[in-house]
Amino acid sequence: MRLELSPLLKIIGDWITSLGLPIWLVDLIEMCGAAAMVLGMAFLVILFLVWWERKLSGHFQQRLGPMRTGWHGWLQTIADGIKLFQKEDIIPKTVDRKVFYWAPVICFASSFAAFACLPWGKNLWPTDLNIGILYIFAITTFVVISLLMAGWSSNNKYALLGGMRSAAQIVSYEVPLTLSVLGVIVATQSLSMVAIVGAQEKVYNWFIFRQPLGFLIYLIAATAETNRAPFDIPEAEQELVAGFNIEYSGMKFAMFFMAEFLNLFLVSAVAVTLFLGGWHGPFLPSWLWFLLKAFFIVFVIIWFKWTYPRLRVDQLMEFCWKFLLPLAFLNLIVAGFLFR
Amino acid sequence: MAYNLPVFRGILNLLIGLQVTLRHLFSHAVTLQYPTERWTMPERSRGVVVLLSNKETGELNCTACILCAKACPCAAIMIERHRGDDKKWKIDSFSVDNSICCYCGLCEEACNFDAIALTPKYEFSTYDKPSLTYDMHRLQELGRDVAYTPRVKKAAAAPAATATATTEEGGTPTPTTTKAATETQTNPSEKGEST
Repeated sequence: MRLELSPLLKIIGDWITSLGLPIWLVDLIEMCGAAAMVLGMAFLVILFLVWWERKLSGHFQQRLGPMRTGWHGWLQTIADGIKLFQKEDIIPKTVDRKVFYWAPVICFASSFAAFACLPWGKNLWPTDLNIGILYIFAITTFVVISLLMAGWSSNNKYALLGGMRSAAQIVSYEVPLTLSVLGVIVATQSLSMVAIVGAQEKVYNWFIFRQPLGFLIYLIAATAETNRAPFDIPEAEQELVAGFNIEYSGMKFAMFFMAEFLNLFLVSAVAVTLFLGGWHGPFLPSWLWFLLKAFFIVFVIIWFKWTYPRLRVDQLMEFCWKFLLPLAFLNLIVAGFLFR
Repeated sequence: MAYNLPVFRGILNLLIGLQVTLRHLFSHAVTLQYPTERWTMPERSRGVVVLLSNKETGELNCTACILCAKACPCAAIMIERHRGDDKKWKIDSFSVDNSICCYCGLCEEACNFDAIALTPKYEFSTYDKPSLTYDMHRLQELGRDVAYTPRVKKAAAAPAATATATTEEGGTPTPTTTKAATETQTNPSEKGEST
């Protein structure tokens, strides 16, 4: 546990230890505390991201986006959340109840669990696993399973098609994504997120400048990973209505929705950690630098969304296997030679 | 290299696309925040029908000639009238059903007395259909603030018309008869504007 944000946290930690509780209880309390903090941060990020996306989408179309709830609509997400809380939780008769119930939980939990390894700022991370980046990519793979579960259990043709498509897409794009990340790992010789950030202290050391191709591949594959336009065929509104989450309502839908935005932030945060120097930056506090960079990457992904039309399924797969994958290998080979 | 050329052109096109959307992002939003901001409607736009009143006396210009009701292609105008003691038509009720009005403006063209007009007002939505039928008082209140220039056609054209009429009769026009003819001619319009 390396939460050294303020002396207050340290005081609380010392106080809990001084109570004379058994070691496992102290550990449990600290773990729950850290998890609660990360959860709170995740919700704040979601609150901001939904607003950020809606405002940007509006302005890209020369609209204003939400304007009525609060200053420039900043309370819009909270209003939407309250509305979703109040909604009836409709479970259709023919669904596979257990799978239907657990799909959104797994989806949200796996996205959220990946936050455990994110270095939010200097000395500000829930935990520093020595296999951090591997852990993140492993745990987010559960999202695919949950989407497939949701699509299959809904007993709906659109949901099934959406689930199948997202599974095919995410599994395919996982390959160039991981390969582009491998280039960074080859250079830093570490899987730890903190060590990777530590390797890019100077601006010219940022991996976006040392491996621009790797960054591009990562950005494209990450856009596909989060099922966002132009790779949003799993929830292509015009053909699949909403894709895998079509039968979900109320809080279950909200969990899918939140997981989507958590994923979006997660890939952006990983991009910042791997390629944009993490929390490093002048003048501003480290956590602010991290958030600024992450939201910039989110902005770029939203920018893609409003620029490019949706790809067909075959185009999507062709682009991944015939174009991105060879480039990712090339990037890895070049990185292997350059950073021996 | 020839194989790769379309790829590079494609990448260039992708970047151009990004540039276009970025330009739209930073250009001004066209949204009008409706209840707080409103379009200024064109002066002669055809919105809700109103009855105009004399600015000085505050009474309706309408003479109950029912030309507007006859001109109306969808029978949205209903007029009830009776003859008064002075043999002039008196208006009992005048109603416009806005749910069947097609805002063609033919009633305004048919009217000789500046009594009915289409205004740029457009906010008259209600929860039920019957309340879209406006009665005389409501139409009059709606028309209170509508600016219009009372027409002077009759007064200007009257002398010429009487002159031709009198010459056709063959008699020599005396000043008194001309004056009387002019009075009778202008009478309706004056009545329409003043009563």
